[in-house]
Amino acid sequence: MKEIFVRLDRCLGCRSCEMACAVEHSQAKSILTAASEVPVPRRRLYVEYAEGQKIPLVCRHCEDAPCVAVCRTGAMRQDPITGIVDQDQNRCVGCYMCAMVCPYGVIGQQKESRMVVKCDRCGSREVPACVEACPVNTLIFAEEADFAEILRRDAASRLARGYSMRA
Amino acid sequence: MTRSLVPTVCPYCAVGCGLYIVVDDGKAVGIEYMQDHPASEGSLCPKGNAALEMLYHPDRLTHPLKRAGEMWLSISWPEALDLVAGGLSKALREGGPAGLGFIASSKCTNEESYLLQKMVRSLGCANIDSCARLCHSSSVTGLGRALGTCSTTNILSDLANSRCILAIGTNFAENHPIVARWVFRAREAGGRLIVADPRRTPTAWGGDLFLQLNPGTDVALINGMIKVILDEGLINRRFIEDRTEGFSDLESSLEGFSLSEAERITGVSASDIVGAARAYARSPASAIVYCMGVTQHANGTDNVQALANLLLICGQIGRSGAGIYPLRGQNNVQGTCDMGCLPDFYPGYLSFEDPRTQEAFRRAWGSNRLPAKKGLTSLEMMDAAAANGTIKAMYIVGEDAANTHPCSKRTAKALGRLEFLVVQDIFLTETARFADVVLPAACWAEKEGSSTSTERRIQWHEKAVEPPGDAMADLWIICNLARRLGLNFHYRSSKEVMDEICDLVPIYRGAKPSASGGVLWPCKKEGEISILHEETFPLARGRAIIRSVHFRRTAEETSSRYPFLLTIGRIGAHHNAGSMTMRSPSLLGMAPHRFVEINPKDALSLGLDDGADVVVETARGEARAKTRSTDRVMPGTLFMPFHFPGANHLVRGYRDEHSGMGELKIAACRIERC
Repeated sequence: MKEIFVRLDRCLGCRSCEMACAVEHSQAKSILTAASEVPVPRRRLYVEYAEGQKIPLVCRHCEDAPCVAVCRTGAMRQDPITGIVDQDQNRCVGCYMCAMVCPYGVIGQQKESRMVVKCDRCGSREVPACVEACPVNTLIFAEEADFAEILRRDAASRLARGYSMRA
Repeated sequence: MTRSLVPTVCPYCAVGCGLYIVVDDGKAVGIEYMQDHPASEGSLCPKGNAALEMLYHPDRLTHPLKRAGEMWLSISWPEALDLVAGGLSKALREGGPAGLGFIASSKCTNEESYLLQKMVRSLGCANIDSCARLCHSSSVTGLGRALGTCSTTNILSDLANSRCILAIGTNFAENHPIVARWVFRAREAGGRLIVADPRRTPTAWGGDLFLQLNPGTDVALINGMIKVILDEGLINRRFIEDRTEGFSDLESSLEGFSLSEAERITGVSASDIVGAARAYARSPASAIVYCMGVTQHANGTDNVQALANLLLICGQIGRSGAGIYPLRGQNNVQGTCDMGCLPDFYPGYLSFEDPRTQEAFRRAWGSNRLPAKKGLTSLEMMDAAAANGTIKAMYIVGEDAANTHPCSKRTAKALGRLEFLVVQDIFLTETARFADVVLPAACWAEKEGSSTSTERRIQWHEKAVEPPGDAMADLWIICNLARRLGLNFHYRSSKEVMDEICDLVPIYRGAKPSASGGVLWPCKKEGEISILHEETFPLARGRAIIRSVHFRRTAEETSSRYPFLLTIGRIGAHHNAGSMTMRSPSLLGMAPHRFVEINPKDALSLGLDDGADVVVETARGEARAKTRSTDRVMPGTLFMPFHFPGANHLVRGYRDEHSGMGELKIAACRIERC
C-alpha cells in the first residue's frame, strides 16, 4: 500500500502542497474560485517550522487510529483494506475529540461549521495533490520498501561525501 | 466552445516553468502541470500554482485613462494614443530626443521589447532601459567583460551533474524553488552545497557548509577562497594558460592579502573559507549560482568579476556540471536584455561603439536617426528628471519604479516633475498614479509571444484568454503608437516580429521558439547548446579575462544614530513590488504584511517581543513592520522583504560605476517600537 512519505531534510517551506491541497478540496477544484467559495476550502496538511527546519505534517493514517477510536458518532472511520482514515461529514457533530487526540495536530476545523477536515489521501486521484505539487519531491507517494531505498541511497551519499571530505 | 489546454510559461520568476492553462468556454478555469518540461518537469512553486489568480482581479485596468485633476477619465483608444503621441512629439520638439526616457518591461514578450526599443531608437532617442538595471546589470557588465556572455552558461537541469555548488547571494529555495529541485538531485548523487549569505535562509538549511558573511563583503570572501586555491596549488594551470588572460595580475594583486584578513572582513572563519575553497576547486565539476545578493551592490560588477576569477582559475566552466548561473528575477528579463532594452547595447548585446552595429541596424530599420551614443540608465533618467528637468517626458511599461527604485522618495519627486508621463500596465500601480495617461495592457495569458528564461530558453506561449475590457496587447499598443509617431510599424503578429528578430539578432538566429520547452539560444543546426564556452569565449582572442578586484567598503556604514545594517530581499510568497502577488489571495494569505527579522539578542536588548510593531528608519525615510525574532539574521543585522510598498524608500542606491546598479541591499538603520 502506498503512503505519503516526507523526506524530512529537504522541505523548502514553499507551501505549494498546502495550496494544492486546498484547491483539490474546493468544489470547483480551481485556484481561481477557491478563495471565494463557502465553505472556504481548507488545507489538510501543514508546513511547520521547528529547529531551523520546515517540516510538512500530513495525516499518517495510523493503524488503530486514535481519532477513529475516540469518535463517538462513527463519523471517523478507517477503511479495513486501505487503512485510510476518512470522515463522514454527515455524522460529524463537531466535538473535536479526534482533533484533541491526534498526535500530529493534523485534524483541522472547518471555519464555517462545527466540522473537522482532514487528509483523505485524495481518494479520486492516483497521486495525492500535495505530492504532485511538491517542486522538490519532499513528499513522496510510494510503498514503504521503495521509500526506504530512497533513504538508504541518501544516507549512502552522505556517508560517501563525508568520507571524501575527510580525504 | 470546448475545454482546452493551452501551453504557457509561468509569468513570475525567470526559471521559465511550463504549465497548461485549462480554458473552458473562453475562460481560464485552472492549471495543469507540464510533466515533460525540461526545466521544471511539471513542478511549480506557490506563485506558479497561483499564477491565474490575478487574471480576473477586479483591479485590472480595462480602459485607457486620462488624468483630469485628481480624477481619472476613461477614454477611447484613439483618443489615448493621440494624446500619447501628441505628448511625446511635443517633448521631442521642445527638448529633442534626449528629453525622452523609456523603461521597457521584463513582463512583456521578446517581440514587444524588441519593438519598443526599435521605436525609441528610431525616434533618435538613446534613453531606453529596463528593470535589469536593478537586477543583473552588474552581471551584464561583469560577466560580459570576463566571459563574453551574460547568462547562465549551463542549463538549469545540468546543475544535477554538479559535484559542488557554491550558492552565493541567492535564496533560490524561496525565490527560484525549481532550482532547488536540480540542486537536490546533485546532492542525492553525492554533490556538496556551499551557501554563502549574510542570512541563514531556507537555502542555507540545505547546505553542507554555510558561510554567514557580513553584508557587502563578498569580494573579500571570494578573494580569500582564491588565495587558498593559489597557495595550495589547486589552480587549473592548463585551463589558465590555454583559455584565459590576466592571471599573473591576479596572482600579484593578492600577494599582500591574507586569509586572516578575509576572516576579519567577512566574519567567516578561516577554516570555513579553506573548506569552501578546497571543495570548489577540487571537485570534478563545480557550479556557481548567484543572484541579487551579489549584483545589487555599489560594487556589484566587482562581485561578479571576483566570481568569474574564481571559476576561471579553477577551470570550472565549459563542462557538464561546471559553470555559472546568474539567476534572473523576472520571467523575461533575460529576453528584455537580449532584445536591447539597455541604454548601451543594441539587440543581441551588440555594442554602440562598433560602427558596423550602427550600420546594420540603420539599414535593417531604414532609419537615419539612430542615436550614436549610449543613453541614460533608468536611475539616471530619474536623476535627470528630478534634478534639472532634462528628461521631460517618460514612457514606462510595466515597471513600478515608484516602489522598486532605490530612495523611492527621489523617484517620486522625479515622476512628479515630469511634464508628461505615460504608464502602460495591467494594474494602477504607485507609478501609474503619477501618470498623465495610463494604457491598459493585456497580461501574459492574454497574448501570444516568446519569452526567454534565465537558462537562455526561448519559449513561445499562445494566447489563452481575452484581455479584460478594452485592454490590449503591448504589441498592438506599441505598433499603433509608433505609427502615430510617423514610423512604419506594420506588424500583423508577434510571429512576424520574431522573424525579424531571428534575422537581425545574431544570438537568436535560427531560433524557432515553440511552446512546451522552447529552444535555447544560441541556436545551431547541430542541436541545442546546453553548455556555453566548451572551447572558446566570445571575446577577442577567444580567451576569458581574469581581472583582479579588491574589497572596497561601498555600502553605508553604521553609526551611533543608525547602529543596525538593514538588508533587503525577497520571500517565497511574493514577487517584486507585489502588484501581482498582493492581488493573489492565496499568496497574500501566506504573507499578509511586512515584517523585519531581528536577532533574538538584539530584540531582547531593545525590549522588542516577537511580533512587535516597529518602525525602521534610515537617513532616507522610515517603514513600519512587525518584528520576527529569529537567529536567521546575525546580531546587528536586520532583514526586510521589499515586496511591500515603501521598503526601497530606505536604501540610498549608491551607484556601481560600471553598471549603474544602485546599492539596494544594504542601509544603516535604527529600529524602534512604534
